[in-house]
Amino acid sequence: MFHNKLRYGNISILVLLTHLVMLAAVLFRGNYEDIRDIVPLTIAVFSLDIVYMIVIRFFYKQMTYTTDYLLLLILNCSVIFQSCFGGIGFASKHYITCVAALVCCQIMFLLTRNHLRVLAMKQYLYLVLGALILAILFLTGSRSMWINIGPISIQPSEFMKPVFVLLCATSIMEQHPKKKVLMFHVSREMIALTIAFFVIFVLQWWCRDLGSLPTFAAAYGCAILCRICYPKAKFSKGTLLFLCALGVCAVAMLAAAAPGYVQARLSVDIWEDTYGDGWQQCQALMAIAEGALFGKGPGYGKLIQVPAADTDIVFSTICEEWGFFVALLIIFFVVSLLILPMINKPRSYFHATMVMGVAAVFIVQMGLNIFGSCNLIPFTGVTIPFISQGGSSMVVCGMLTGMLKAGQSPVFRRPDVQRQLNAQRRKEGAA
Amino acid sequence: MKSIKRGERLTKFLIAVFLIGMCILVFKVVSEASFYMEHSGNVSLGCVYDRDGNVLYDPNATAETYGADYFVDVGNLIGDESGMMDNTLVSENMNLLENYDPIFGVMENGKSAVYTTLDHDANRTVYNAFGSYDGTAIAYNYETGEILVCVSKPNINILNYGDVESLPSGSMICKAFNPVTPGSTQKVSTLAAAIEQMGFDAVAEKRYSCAGVYYNNYGNQIDCHNLYGHGTQDIFTAFQNSCNPYFAQLVQEMKLDDLIETYKDMGYSVNGSKAPNLEVDDIKVFRGSAELEDVNEFDTQWGCMGQSRTEVSPCQLMMWQSAIANRSNSVTKPYLISYTHNMFGDERNHARTKYESAGFSADTAAYIREVMLANGKNRYNGVIGYPVGVKSGTAQVENGASEDSLLVGFVDDTAFPIAFCVVIEDNAAGAMSADSIVAIMLRAIQQ
Repeated sequence: MFHNKLRYGNISILVLLTHLVMLAAVLFRGNYEDIRDIVPLTIAVFSLDIVYMIVIRFFYKQMTYTTDYLLLLILNCSVIFQSCFGGIGFASKHYITCVAALVCCQIMFLLTRNHLRVLAMKQYLYLVLGALILAILFLTGSRSMWINIGPISIQPSEFMKPVFVLLCATSIMEQHPKKKVLMFHVSREMIALTIAFFVIFVLQWWCRDLGSLPTFAAAYGCAILCRICYPKAKFSKGTLLFLCALGVCAVAMLAAAAPGYVQARLSVDIWEDTYGDGWQQCQALMAIAEGALFGKGPGYGKLIQVPAADTDIVFSTICEEWGFFVALLIIFFVVSLLILPMINKPRSYFHATMVMGVAAVFIVQMGLNIFGSCNLIPFTGVTIPFISQGGSSMVVCGMLTGMLKAGQSPVFRRPDVQRQLNAQRRKEGAA
Repeated sequence: MKSIKRGERLTKFLIAVFLIGMCILVFKVVSEASFYMEHSGNVSLGCVYDRDGNVLYDPNATAETYGADYFVDVGNLIGDESGMMDNTLVSENMNLLENYDPIFGVMENGKSAVYTTLDHDANRTVYNAFGSYDGTAIAYNYETGEILVCVSKPNINILNYGDVESLPSGSMICKAFNPVTPGSTQKVSTLAAAIEQMGFDAVAEKRYSCAGVYYNNYGNQIDCHNLYGHGTQDIFTAFQNSCNPYFAQLVQEMKLDDLIETYKDMGYSVNGSKAPNLEVDDIKVFRGSAELEDVNEFDTQWGCMGQSRTEVSPCQLMMWQSAIANRSNSVTKPYLISYTHNMFGDERNHARTKYESAGFSADTAAYIREVMLANGKNRYNGVIGYPVGVKSGTAQVENGASEDSLLVGFVDDTAFPIAFCVVIEDNAAGAMSADSIVAIMLRAIQQ
């Protein structure tokens, strides 16, 4: 709003109108028996819209609020989608995770908007990462990524993503003294980051959660690329090409060494194995075709009967019920979240790198999910940010969006100065 | 600031890659939506009709609504959606029958339909004419390419498959599109190759004698069906007599490379080479194959007379007739689908006449035409009842245990431009004549 010349009233109406249109679509095209089935969903969506709009207007000041509104728009769209899969209802669990995502977004924004404070907490980031790794090793089941506490399941590996992105950003935000290791001049920070990535890699491999590996690899790859080119490219083009070739070889070797089920997914011809390894993708593609441009109508989808219809192949489920056009539109909204920092540009190298890391994570996750479920690339079990169901994933996406916000509304005061300023304000207040 | 821009550029690059991927996805979904729907059980199909509006396929057909044997003459040509048969009109064109549109999705009571060029009444008449014999008959308009009759026996009743395992061999394929041993109908191709290589005048001047048996340059024995021999003949009489020794000597005088080249140009797979694809409305059609290794050797000579390892599809044999009848260097490509209706009932996909290279020149076609017309005039016009150019053939199959009768040709009438090929299987006794089937077929088409 600040930079984008979007007024509070206008953008609020835009968000409300979008949700109104979607709920009207549910009313007129939806699969429900009684009109009262729609009421809880309607109340929940508009309540969240109005409460959040009031909160962000008066809670604290930012340089731009566009990301908040876009996030609100996407999250409530997601609530409407998830509430309609297979029949109109209210996805209360998904709604709660969306609220949690909004809260986490604000918390992460406050934590990361001052890059000097993040830098001061750098060693704690490694500690948090270590704690998450230990949690995966000792609190999850055998070679699993999940911690089950009663009815709640938490995936600690998801929480490694914002931590790792922050580590990437803090590791390359400034010039560090370098040592020569083999043919490379590297800083201690980069060695630490590389070790952290390697540990995450081994852990993910061991837990057979290979779907998340590209996400971390993308964040790490972007960081490395920025590091070696900071402040200007120190390597010759030949060395860079050599490194790229090395990366390609590593991917090929990993593909060859991957577990059987992964290899089957890499090589499966889905239409030759429609009831085996190609089951989900075939069903997903058929659902997209059946939905056509305008969909069968909310609640009329059949894909929900296929496993992971609301997570790994959620794009197709939306296509089936709401149509290809709406599915593309919602993806465009998510991509817009990543485009916003190019309009409200980050003002520090830390924030620029952090935004880049978040973009890498979001883009890779969306790509793996959408292109995988549509058989353009091998199928992996990752979620679409904000759209797929999943508590840990949703909360982490909220945190990452908070980091995007921080990149657009940064604070540049040193932490000690900020503390003094706060103390002074408290004294004045007391007086 | 430069470093910040570098990060931004990398982010832009990632977003651009993703958006390109999305564009590819959109293209893929739009172009393949019909294919996905073929695998979906949630789409209704339309009907297939003949040229007069008679139903050839109805997804809701029952024996009560149409009669138990209504579809039996077109079962293995038109097929159905059950997946029991592939390479049928329905199985290869499901996208045209689906009541589906990539924009509006599935329509329960859509009007999708395929209108074919077939004449169901004529088709059924020809099917019945085969009596207890198996075989195939195909006929098309050699000027437009419309297939009017396409029968293959034994056939399948799509309303009641029964025990599929116990069906007679060949029930579930349309033999007109599959390989057969061409017998002496192959002499048309060999004559085309000879004229292409030597010129018609040179071929016309050739005189070879037949004593009933001929020993080639390697001493192999070539038998003639006339044990007493045909004496000295020119190409016209040899063609009418279908004289094996004449053609063995003709082949012996040809250059192997030129022979192979003409055969390849005509669409044959020679000595394992890849033949160009041939499809009739996405139904795959076998072209032809031959083993030609030495013009002096028995197998090559025998192959040029339609025996040994030579195979051709009746459809391809018929197609060459179009070039001959039209005195053209191109054959008229056959088609079955005249036009379609989309699910809203709008006409789409109007067929257009297409041509492909015949593999021989227009002059060669004109010369062969004269030879075939002479054969028809002297031996077949009376029986068939139309002015025709024809070539008959007898193919020894199953290692000589059985003989198939063949007749290929065309009607020499611009008002009735029909080319045809008929194959009667296991007809060594000659109880059923191919020319009588052709006569019945032509009359049925003309009615």
